[in-house]
Amino acid sequence: MQDLENIVTRAAAEFAAASDPASLENAKAKFLGKSGELTALLKQLGSLAPEEKKSFGQSINTAKQQIEVALDSRRKDLEQKKLESRLSGEALDVTLPGRGRSRGGLHPISRTWQRIEEIFGSIGFDVADGPEIETDWYNFTALNNPENHPARSMQDTFYVDMKDSGGLPLLLRTHTSPMQVRYARMHVQQFRDKAAKCPPIKVIAPGRTYRVDSDATHSPMFHQVEGLWIDEDISFADLKGIYVDFLRRFFESDDLQVRFRPSYFPFTEPSAEIDLQFASGPLKGRWLELSGAGQVHPQVVRNFGLDPERHIGFAFGSGLERLTMLRYGIDDLRLFFDGDLRFLRQFS
Amino acid sequence: MNVPENWLRDFVEIKISTEKLAHLLTMSGLEVESCAPIAPLFSGVVVGEILAVERHPNADKLTVCTVDTGRQKLKVVCGAPNVRAGMKAPLATVGTVLGKLEIRKSNLRGVDSEGMLCSARELGLSEDHSGLLELDAKPGQDVYKALKLDERVLTFKLTPNRADCLSVLGIAREVSALTGEKLKAPRIKSIPAKNKSVHPVKITDAEGCGRFAGRVIRGVNAAAPTPAWMRERLERAGQRSISALVDVTNYVMLEMGRPLHVYDQDKLRGAIDVRWGRKGEEVLLLNGQTVGVDAAVLCITDDSGPIGLAGIMGGESTKAETTTRNLFLESAFFFPDAIAGRARRYNFSSDASHRFERGVDFENNVPGIERATQLILEICGGEPGPSVDLVKRLPKRKPVRMRVARARKILGIPVEMKEVESVFRRLGFSYKKAKDNVTVNPPSFRFDLEIEEDLIEEVARVHGFDSIPAHPPRAAAKMHARPEARRSLHEVRERVAACDYQETINFAFVEPAWEADLAGEANPVRLLNPIASQASVMRTTLFGSLVANLRYNHARKLPRIRVFEVGRVYLRDAAAADGPLSVAGLRQPIRVAGAAFGPALDEQWGSAARAVDFFDVKADLEAICAPRRLRFEAAAHPALHPGRSARVLVDGSPAGWLGELHPRWQQKYELPQPATLFEMEAETLVDAPLPLPTQPSRFPPVVRDIALLVDAGVPAQAFLDAVQAEKPPIVRGVGMFDLYQGQSLPAGKKSLAFRVVMQDTERTLTDAEADSARDALVELWGRRFGATLRA
Repeated sequence: MQDLENIVTRAAAEFAAASDPASLENAKAKFLGKSGELTALLKQLGSLAPEEKKSFGQSINTAKQQIEVALDSRRKDLEQKKLESRLSGEALDVTLPGRGRSRGGLHPISRTWQRIEEIFGSIGFDVADGPEIETDWYNFTALNNPENHPARSMQDTFYVDMKDSGGLPLLLRTHTSPMQVRYARMHVQQFRDKAAKCPPIKVIAPGRTYRVDSDATHSPMFHQVEGLWIDEDISFADLKGIYVDFLRRFFESDDLQVRFRPSYFPFTEPSAEIDLQFASGPLKGRWLELSGAGQVHPQVVRNFGLDPERHIGFAFGSGLERLTMLRYGIDDLRLFFDGDLRFLRQFS
Repeated sequence: MNVPENWLRDFVEIKISTEKLAHLLTMSGLEVESCAPIAPLFSGVVVGEILAVERHPNADKLTVCTVDTGRQKLKVVCGAPNVRAGMKAPLATVGTVLGKLEIRKSNLRGVDSEGMLCSARELGLSEDHSGLLELDAKPGQDVYKALKLDERVLTFKLTPNRADCLSVLGIAREVSALTGEKLKAPRIKSIPAKNKSVHPVKITDAEGCGRFAGRVIRGVNAAAPTPAWMRERLERAGQRSISALVDVTNYVMLEMGRPLHVYDQDKLRGAIDVRWGRKGEEVLLLNGQTVGVDAAVLCITDDSGPIGLAGIMGGESTKAETTTRNLFLESAFFFPDAIAGRARRYNFSSDASHRFERGVDFENNVPGIERATQLILEICGGEPGPSVDLVKRLPKRKPVRMRVARARKILGIPVEMKEVESVFRRLGFSYKKAKDNVTVNPPSFRFDLEIEEDLIEEVARVHGFDSIPAHPPRAAAKMHARPEARRSLHEVRERVAACDYQETINFAFVEPAWEADLAGEANPVRLLNPIASQASVMRTTLFGSLVANLRYNHARKLPRIRVFEVGRVYLRDAAAADGPLSVAGLRQPIRVAGAAFGPALDEQWGSAARAVDFFDVKADLEAICAPRRLRFEAAAHPALHPGRSARVLVDGSPAGWLGELHPRWQQKYELPQPATLFEMEAETLVDAPLPLPTQPSRFPPVVRDIALLVDAGVPAQAFLDAVQAEKPPIVRGVGMFDLYQGQSLPAGKKSLAFRVVMQDTERTLTDAEADSARDALVELWGRRFGATLRA
């Protein structure tokens, strides 16, 4: 019995000393192999009396099991060690930079543009866009701004070397307002022959606009967004509600003041300039001109093909550059059109 | 327009601070841009009387003056050339701070000086530094007060509808309406004639000139100086003093909004006639410009022809000068339509044209004459003849009715009749009230009250926009979504950006050379009035702008540049008609274009550096356009390398271009490496058809690879097209996966490798079936293109 315990102890010690699978197999052979110690003891079993045979046999079996458990455990240990060593050899410097292509980005004006579409889209405004080389009629006359009217000098116009069907030179639209007329006329046309009443006109028209003006604070090309809501009862108070809400969503702040100041545009009446004032931040306390707006002039409503006695509503036009500059704290307009990637990539 | 505060106070009392007044006016629609005092604030400068002037013992250009400050006599060293005993001038006493300069007791070349005698510039009043500012005031008086330098000037930025506010009186009317203070309208006295001199006037074209009042004044001294008070007011209002007669007309214009003109009567030849010009006639204007007129230009004429442009500017030949003895005053009414745009046509504008094209009060012609007569007599003397008022046709002032209910509906506030009446009363309108509406007779000075909305606007602005609440409207909750099969341009932008392109926005007008080079366009739409010749034509391709972006950023040492733009191009098209969203003669489609330059990837560890090429950008384009399948066919484009350029087709129709920038342009536009460009019609990119999925087969696919040897000139696409036309039914897909061109192949040959995937939906394919399908393809390609299996 003493021998058996001794054998188990030595086997465990030799297994533990085996540092790789081959020496472990050698050690195993020493105890469990054909000429191993335990095998030798088993061979002696036949010479023992039946009584002794049974109890000794049991003892040997127990010892064999113990040795096998030790062997198995050592095998697993060695496998684990081997795996660990492989894994540690495979370790990466996880701080190395990622590979492959990176990602570009949108222009800040496009970000603003998209955001405005989302904000107005959330209350059901449609989005429209149309020609930038425009006729005099859509850009001016339809908007109640006849030829020679002094209000035309408010917007210095680029003309091109083509004429419209009436012989007037075509021009680059000076504002997005022509889209009011184009969209509204399409809308009215669409519902003209239907029995149901004409549904409200709710549209924004963002896009490029042009004026002969080029200095630090004016770009000859810039962007506006036009808004138009016409129904049977859309009032100036509604304009205030919508626009103030828009600014709060756009700047994600209730901490701003908006004021509507009487002004003049040929295509709205009453007309307002909308000024914005932040209650905090670097522009705190200054009134910043943001938009022109007002109730659509009855003549313009007639030009839509609607009866101003029945249909009223508001329109507004805002500069996307201005909104973008205020939103991101950009103070030089020219950065938008230089195409300088060092600037633009910051908006990726 | 600039309005000095004290002038304004002549016509209305102001009990609130100037800042408050400015705010009030701004918030009622007369925007006050600034209300700054005349001069920067200073104190300690007093009127000094120079009692004696002695030469400085040690300096030729300096004098030593004895100056009486009213309280004491001081010695002051002075360098002004105009200093003389007896004159009074500003003396900055010791301790005064003028800008950055503090006046101290000092010793100037051995003589003590106890202050500084000042020029206008030293006080910050003007740029005049020619000598001491001469004063006419009591010694010892504070100069800031004596010169009324604390007066503020209100600078207005007026909208074109409010011509009635282009005068001090007009602003006063508005102040009175807003504050409720009574308007102190000027009392204009009729000045009786001293002789019977009249100058004959006729109006041939009354649709241009409705009224012409005039008066002769004989025996004036036109050389008399303009009195200081008038000069001061004019200057503060921003009008330079010129001569007494001109100053008087300007004064009356600024005060009453009544433009006048003075003729030297002795230079007039026969009767004045107001008529349209005739082609071929010319007139030399007061600004030295000679202009030709025609039937669209209203002229003041006499027997010699045109002597002035009506309502715009007088002529040189009949102008009043300081030698003028007998003058003729004109106070006319010209219809805005007859004046508007004319001055602009000649590229200038004048105070008169600015007013007449917006509308001038047609009832103040005679009061204007009387006021001017009074001032001329006071300053220049003379004997007036009778004032003559020729009236032909005046604007009709139709009564305008405003329904209170309509005002409520438009403004969205519960306006009451009482408030409406109060507003109209304060504005000085004459009106008739009925049960639920008010009818206003617009005054002669208002040209912007023609329809009901005009009156609603008056109510709103006097009531105050601030007191209209902001409440969003209630609207039917109607769902709203973009059709799934159409992407927005923003989604397209996101897709391009996802392929590592940065968006730029460039001007739509470009250099003509870009168009010629990169679009082969010799006749793009041209601007008639470009800001610069490099921005004078409308682009027909976005390539020019993108190449400019590459160039700009390359010059700033960026090694890898990838840009894109979404924008319109402008194409002449005689067939294009006017439509809801189109203008005849033009197509203005939106395009999406990109450019890639430099390494395919940012320099990085573990990837060999490689320049971006055609196929990189092709893959980008395919990713951007997915799920639409693109086809590419070799075709030439003026911007692109002739052997590396492809027309892009979608559903068989041309939809854009892809290619390498032509080496000629690469050199001309100073790019050291090739750039790859694409340009697509946005319309094809927003179109994203809905998926039409089929059930995947439950049986395993069989794959066969085929390597072919073919003529180098046969495009890969041809093999795929041939398969599409006649492939065995079990062939699911064929794709090209390898290309080999090299020494080991016979000359003029290339090797293409295709992978063929075969599958049946009903059963598992046998090898024999797969091999036979593969053989069929090899046979097909051999028959069509002479391809052989590569050994």
